Amino acid sequence: MTRRRPPDPLPLSTQKPVDEDVQRELAQHIEFRTEELMAEGWTAEAARAEALRAFGDVATIADECREITVRDRRSRRRDEWFGALIHDVRFAFRILRRSPAFTLGAVLTLALGIGANTAIFSVVNGVLLRPLPYDHPEQLVRVFETSERGGASDLAEPNFDDWRAQARSFDGMAAYGSDVGTLLGADIPSRVRSTAVSADFFRLMRVQPVMGRLPAPDEFAVGAPPVAVVSYRFWQDRLGGTRDLADRRLRSEYDFQVVGVLPQGFGFPDESDLWFPIELFGRNESRTAHNYSAVARLKPGLTPLDADRELDALTEPMRAQYLPDFDAVGATVIPLRELEAGPLREPLFLLLGASGLLLLAACTNLASSMLVRGSARAHELAIRAAIGAGRGRLVRQVFTESMLIALLGCAAGLVVAQVVERGLLLLAPAGMVPIEGAPFDLRVLGFSLLLTLLTAALFGLLPAMRMSGVRPATAMREGTRHSGSRKSRRLWSTLVAVEVALAVMLLCGSGLLLRSFAAITRIDPGFRAEGVITALLDLPDAGYPDVQQAVAFHDRLLAALADAPGVVAAGVTNQLPLEGNQPSGAIQVEGKPTLPAGPFTGYAIYRTASPRYFEAMGIPLLAGRPFNDRDRAGAPRVVIVTKGLAEREWPGEDPIGKHFRVYGMDGGEEPYGTVIGVVADIPQGAITDARREAYWYPYSQNPYRTRSMKLVVRTAGDPAALAPMLSKMVHDIDPTLPLEFRTMEERLASTIADRRFTMVVLASFAVVALLLAALGIYGVVSYTVAQRTREIGIRIALGAEPTRVQRLVQGGAMAVIGTGIVVGGVGAVVGTRVMRALLYGVEPGDAATFGVAVGLLLLVGFLASWWPARRSAGIDPVRAIQAE
Amino acid sequence: MPDELDLLQGTLDVLVLRALSHGPRHGYAIAQWIQDNSDGTFRILDGALYTSLHRMEEKGWAEAEWGTSERGKRARFYELTPAGRAELQLRTTRWERYVNAVAHVMAAPAPA
Repeated sequence: MTRRRPPDPLPLSTQKPVDEDVQRELAQHIEFRTEELMAEGWTAEAARAEALRAFGDVATIADECREITVRDRRSRRRDEWFGALIHDVRFAFRILRRSPAFTLGAVLTLALGIGANTAIFSVVNGVLLRPLPYDHPEQLVRVFETSERGGASDLAEPNFDDWRAQARSFDGMAAYGSDVGTLLGADIPSRVRSTAVSADFFRLMRVQPVMGRLPAPDEFAVGAPPVAVVSYRFWQDRLGGTRDLADRRLRSEYDFQVVGVLPQGFGFPDESDLWFPIELFGRNESRTAHNYSAVARLKPGLTPLDADRELDALTEPMRAQYLPDFDAVGATVIPLRELEAGPLREPLFLLLGASGLLLLAACTNLASSMLVRGSARAHELAIRAAIGAGRGRLVRQVFTESMLIALLGCAAGLVVAQVVERGLLLLAPAGMVPIEGAPFDLRVLGFSLLLTLLTAALFGLLPAMRMSGVRPATAMREGTRHSGSRKSRRLWSTLVAVEVALAVMLLCGSGLLLRSFAAITRIDPGFRAEGVITALLDLPDAGYPDVQQAVAFHDRLLAALADAPGVVAAGVTNQLPLEGNQPSGAIQVEGKPTLPAGPFTGYAIYRTASPRYFEAMGIPLLAGRPFNDRDRAGAPRVVIVTKGLAEREWPGEDPIGKHFRVYGMDGGEEPYGTVIGVVADIPQGAITDARREAYWYPYSQNPYRTRSMKLVVRTAGDPAALAPMLSKMVHDIDPTLPLEFRTMEERLASTIADRRFTMVVLASFAVVALLLAALGIYGVVSYTVAQRTREIGIRIALGAEPTRVQRLVQGGAMAVIGTGIVVGGVGAVVGTRVMRALLYGVEPGDAATFGVAVGLLLLVGFLASWWPARRSAGIDPVRAIQAE
Repeated sequence: MPDELDLLQGTLDVLVLRALSHGPRHGYAIAQWIQDNSDGTFRILDGALYTSLHRMEEKGWAEAEWGTSERGKRARFYELTPAGRAELQLRTTRWERYVNAVAHVMAAPAPA
């Protein structure tokens, strides 16, 4: 039976007509029955009553029938929709298979766009969006003192106590101090981050031991026997996962009894492996000794700003009461998340934005090639419209094609993303990707699917609307020669201009980073990194209870190194250049007035060094002499200062022979030292940071903190090749020392690794965008020439110079490119402002950079349009006109 | 109408399918046909017929459309689809096996 279902008289979607339909049908039945009975001689009323009785409950039956029918129609509609979808998809496949070059190009373009976005997003997801592994991490904040000089510093112990006792914004506030040191007593001596914590710490972090117990309240007391809990990782790797903690003792400065193991994944702060009561360190009643790091948990509903305001208010009376032993003017409260993401936040968000622009460029490119195709297919679509396909149906068909391309692009993009991500990991600075790597999780997958939908909408919907809008009559009359109407040419121009604008923006952005990077590599670091190898010499307190033993160790090592083959110079220092900004300490310069904050005259960074350290590091001596072997304990105290410190303290005078001393650092008054030398300013933290004033003592004269020194060796050849020999020489003196060598060049490179990473990624985005723009220009100009062959032929036949025709064609293209450049330039001026923090030695709107970007685009635009435009000059008028 | 019987479960569908096998019918005609040919044996409320018809439409056994009855009234006509015919065949066979089996047992001699 092949009878066609007649068009249903009632719309399918509404329930009311179904209801009427059923009512009518049932009423008709009752009427039939009534008539029948009346024909048998029943009275009208009796007949109707009998008909109703024979029928049963009309209302219930009607309800049932309606329900069945509504269900039926709904499912039919769904089937129809799916049927049409399958048809559309099949048809789209056929269409795409028919032009494999187009399909491949489109899929690859999208794969690049989606791949780049997915890769960047998965890094962002892994680094920035990963929830911190603590209970309600959004409530956790770090608390700092805001100092008179505007910086944020850790808390002085009595200040911490006062704030903790008085602040109502917090559900708890804990102090901690974390450091890396050598730990003995595990299976091998290891360098371990250990953290001293106050009693509130574990409750505040909401962490419970998986084994054993936490330190008891009475163990958080000065003089209590030292106990510690260890990380799950440490317990597994270093204690062999033993169930029996009873006799596990670990030795560093203290001899710890291990009492518990914390759950897997907990490592606050900075992947710490050991936690013990902070009271072991004793007590420092000074309100200017910033010893405590502080973490707090906000009460539900409160913001960091609330807490900040409250602590600021609490600080005022404290300041009035305790001056001059007080240097805080308020508090700084920062969400933990912000600190943990650290310096990667800005570059990553910049790259995410840039990859968005790249995807937009890919979409624009596709939209214009879809339009070109659309014009070629206008004839086919016109026929389909003429035989009754509705406009909605055509839009859907064309959109299905776009969607199919987008999905294929997404699939290929996921592959691209994996490749790109592997590349990113190679490029990425250490610490950018968390230990587990950037996981390819559901969020990433969802993100790329969302992008796919978005891209399909962007590059597909517009052409779909345009293509389906072609009037059948017009299109068919024009045959296959659909001379791009003015409207669609304007649309193309817009798309090309957008591509150009996006490329300009990305080029400007990456140009600025490139210039910043070049400026940074030109910075004179103040030392010579080539040929220098370094290692941390971390002498455990347990093995070197007396600091003089540490001094003896360094003396012996340096004496041995003095004659070692391949060694040009060797030295030790407590802190290498680039190793990190340390807080400046207070100093007293003889004859200078003291500051209001206390009995000292200024601040500078404290360092110790061995005699040949400056030579080994290649820090030039600008005046005076370096330390020598006679500058020992007992000899007159000597100091070497940086140029910056000399100029600040003794402007216009000869600093050599001046006197100054550290204030209060090692406890008690110490004798003045004499300045014997001046060296260049060197960067303490990042190479781009302002050089801060610093000074050095010989480590033998000021042996405080001499247990943790860095070995610096200048070598004649490849520095890394010397590591085994150095390692042997160190282990000849102390075989238990863990050693890890790094060349100074590696250190230098790693401090700018994040910049290089951002620059390389952004630059590759820019190159791809430029390529897309070139392809877009080329495609549209070629197509325009092909469409206008007849018109151009006529012009040439009427005597127009072929070169003039070529200039005309290309002039039009260049006008569009020019518009794009102007728009992109404005966008770049605005957009690059967000990059300010990432730039060095160059301003966001830098004219030279923008000039190069614009020049590059003009050149590429010229070439991309010149090639196809040239063809217009070669058109043979006779053939062009006959061809129709 | 004396001695009316309740219809066995599912039997109504077979009767309706059978009624439709002669060509398109509206509901009332089907009711009449069943009543006439069963000598009024079954106690069927006319309403039950309609739920049965609508369900058949849902299952794709029958299709319905509005038409004009022999008396010039607008009525909803049901017509069997190929699926409906197949269903009728299946059910008829099954019904015959059922009846035969029951008859056979009823006529069997007493157990030995």
